[in-house]
Parts: sequence; structure tokens; C-alpha cells
Amino acid sequence: MKDENLAVRVEGLTKSYQGRTVLNGLDLAVRRGTVFGLLGANGAGKSTTIECILGTRRADSGTVAVLGRDPKKERGALFQRVGVQFQEGDYQPEIKVFELCEEIACLYNRPADWRELCRRFGIGGKLKNAVKSLSGGERQRLFIVLALIPSPELVFLDELTTGLDAKVRRDVWRILSELKGEGLTVLLTSHFMDEVEALCDEICILRQGTAVFHGTVEQARAQSGCEKFEDAYLQLSGEEDAA
Amino acid sequence: MRSFGTLLKNEMKLNIRNMNMVIFAVILPLVVLVILGFIYGTKPAAEGVSYTFLEQSVGALCTISICASGLMGLPLVVSEYRERKILKRFQVTPVSPAKLLAVEFTIYVLYCAVSLVTLLLASMLFWRVTIHGSLPAFLGSWLLTMVSTLSIGLMVGGIARNGKSASVIACLLYFPMLIFSGATLPLEVMPGAMQKVVSIFPLTQGIQMMKATSLGLPTGGLWGPVAVMGAVTVISMGVAVTCFKWE
Repeated sequence: MKDENLAVRVEGLTKSYQGRTVLNGLDLAVRRGTVFGLLGANGAGKSTTIECILGTRRADSGTVAVLGRDPKKERGALFQRVGVQFQEGDYQPEIKVFELCEEIACLYNRPADWRELCRRFGIGGKLKNAVKSLSGGERQRLFIVLALIPSPELVFLDELTTGLDAKVRRDVWRILSELKGEGLTVLLTSHFMDEVEALCDEICILRQGTAVFHGTVEQARAQSGCEKFEDAYLQLSGEEDAA
Repeated sequence: MRSFGTLLKNEMKLNIRNMNMVIFAVILPLVVLVILGFIYGTKPAAEGVSYTFLEQSVGALCTISICASGLMGLPLVVSEYRERKILKRFQVTPVSPAKLLAVEFTIYVLYCAVSLVTLLLASMLFWRVTIHGSLPAFLGSWLLTMVSTLSIGLMVGGIARNGKSASVIACLLYFPMLIFSGATLPLEVMPGAMQKVVSIFPLTQGIQMMKATSLGLPTGGLWGPVAVMGAVTVISMGVAVTCFKWE
């Protein structure tokens, strides 16, 4: 595949902590304008993969290109076009919602209208509240908003709907699908297979730092011979053996 | 520049909401001034000198906010942001470490300036304190002392692993400086070798300079202290930016 059609290209990514291999020669290719799901059990290497792609962690070997750029060398230019939601996103102790949004928005050349984003995600009435006073679900939505403030071409969402109720999850899916229609590329991790089925064009299943499956949800079902995608996932990821 | 202004405005609001620095850098020096004012009033510093005790103390009082900002406030806020992974969130935005550090630096410059102005106004209004020497020279030595002390704090905050190690390093710097800089123990009573060692502290140089310039005493060699404090500032800021850790 030509590089200009790829939002993320990862080749031979290897990383170990204190002699334990976390990523073992991982290859990934995320096409522009698609939703890509990185799946796997806790500890399979999902977060490490994302951090190595973003350049916040140094890989032992391998190459990474994000929107055709090296995330370590061209950090400033690249992150004008990339949004990130971290699993353990933290914030200044006393900060209010509108202050956090304002502070993030001011860093970008062409920020999105964050008031509109907050409304869209159902937290428009909470702008003056302290971030720490929000419920878990509201905070989760705020961190998705923060990732979308750059008006990104590519957004990383780590466990995006953890802690959200059923209705809100559907709303988040709908908004992400709309944004995908406008050309946004999404790289997400998730533990909810219904979410993956609803959103992802392509998935990669990690098992102890190695990609054990690469393809569409349909292909995963076919390869495993399972009717339900969740069963297919459990079989491919090896979680079933462990249980 | 737009982002610098917005960051400064929001971070300043958060800092004031926290109240620590308002108390330690602004209110505390004023309280000390008021106590000294009630005890000494307009009495001369010693028999036969033309300046009062308060006039002699103003320079040292101004260093309280400088110490609180540079050796506690600044290193702790930067290392706390690192520990709470707030810097990690900034790492995946276009902002540069230099800009983030400059924002936090500016906040503490403002605290020091507010403390200076309130101290001078209160002491002039209530205890008829005047600057006998040259006001520009006094302000110049204040500026140099503040910038060099704050830059040490910036370096500590920039490279400390977490809040705990930052506060240990800050204390290791804070207390020797407070005791040996001439703020509490007069420099003149120390042995010669020790005087040479402690004169590396920017605070030592700063207090001597502020005292001399405010009282109109002979300043001796002016370029020595300026060179020491300038070198400390350049080295510390350079280390803070080049060795900056996001997490």
C-alpha cells in the first residue's frame, strides 16, 4: 500500500522492559479515513504500542511513521494534526472544564469550537464545573472532547467508552462515525466487542506483544469459525485458553 | 504568543486558587514586615548610622518571596505536573517544553513583583522607609537575584523525577541558602574559605547587593556578583530546557 494512503505505519516494533518482551516485531498499517481497533487482553501491549507510535516511549527497534512523519523528530508539526486521549488522563487539581478546554485549544493553529464539541458530547451544561466534580462518564467524554479539539486528521482513543452507560456509548459511536465520514482516522483500543463490531473497519489482535490476527471483523469470525465476534476474539487472543 | 497568554492566565488562576503561594510569597513577607515595624518602628539600625533597622531589612524581606517561589513553588509545581501525568498530556500537543516552563516561570516572577511592591509601599507609608541609595540599582539587583534564584528552581523542577525528589532537592538548596547566604547569619562572621563557597549562591550575592544599593553603601566590585548570578541563570535555564523530562 502506498504510504500517502496510510495514517500510521509501524514496522518491526520491538520493546522490552527489564528483559520482558512487551512488543515483538509488530507491524501495523492504518489506512486514512478508517477506524482501526487494537485489541488484546490487559498486558498484551496495546498501551505500549500506542505510546511507541506517539513517541512518548522509545521503542528498542522498529520504525514508526504517523501521517508520514517521525513523531519524535517532528513532534510540534505532527501534533497540530493529531489528537490523543490517554487511558489515565490527568488534569490540574482545581481546573474547571472550560479552563481545561481553553488551555488545550490555545495550543493549536486551527482548534475546533470546544463549546460545540462539549454540547455534542452532552457536557455543554458542565463548562463551569470543576473537572474533579464530574462523574466518571462525564470526565471520559471530556477527554474525548480534548482529543478532538485539535480538529485532528487522526485521533488516538485508548479505551474510549470505559465507564459510559449504554445510551452515551451509542451517542459516542454515532459521533465518531459522523467524524469518520468527514475524513477522520481513528485508532482505538477497547475491551467491548460490540463497540469494535460497530465501529472498526479493521482490527489487530495482540497476544503477548505479537499480532495474532490482522483483518476485518468478518475475517476474524471466518478464521476462528465462531458465529459471535466476541467468541472469535476470545479464541484468537488466547484469552479463552487462559480462562 | 496567543497560547502563552492563555496558558499564563489559566495557570495563574489555578495557582491563586491553590493559595499556597499567595500566603508564603505575598502575605508572609508582609506579616514579617508588620512585626518588625511594630518592634523597631523608625529606630536606627545601630548607633550612629543614618538608616533605620527597617530600611536595612527591606532587601532581605524581598528575598522571602524569591525563596518561596524559586526554591519551593516553581520546582514543586513543575514536578507535580510531571507526576500527575499532566506534562505527558502536553507532550502529545504541539507545545514546547520551553513555552511551558516560561509560563510557570512568569507566574512566580509576578508573585515576587507583587511582594516587592506591597513591601515597599507598606514600609514607605507606615514607617517612612526610603531608598537611600539608587532605586534603579536596587531594582536591578532585586531582578538579578530573583531571576537567578527562580532559574535554579526551574532546573530542579525540569529534571526532578517526581514531587518528592523535587522537594528534597529544593530543601537541600533552600536551607543552606537561607542560613549561609547572609539572610540570617552575617557573611562577615564566616571563615574566609566558607565565604568563598557560599558566595556561589546567587542569594548571597543578591542580598549583599540589595542591602548596599538600598542603603547607599559602597557596593564594592559590582561585576563579580553580576557575573555569578548571570552565569547561574544561563546554566540553570539551559539545563532546565535541554534536560527536560515529560514523565
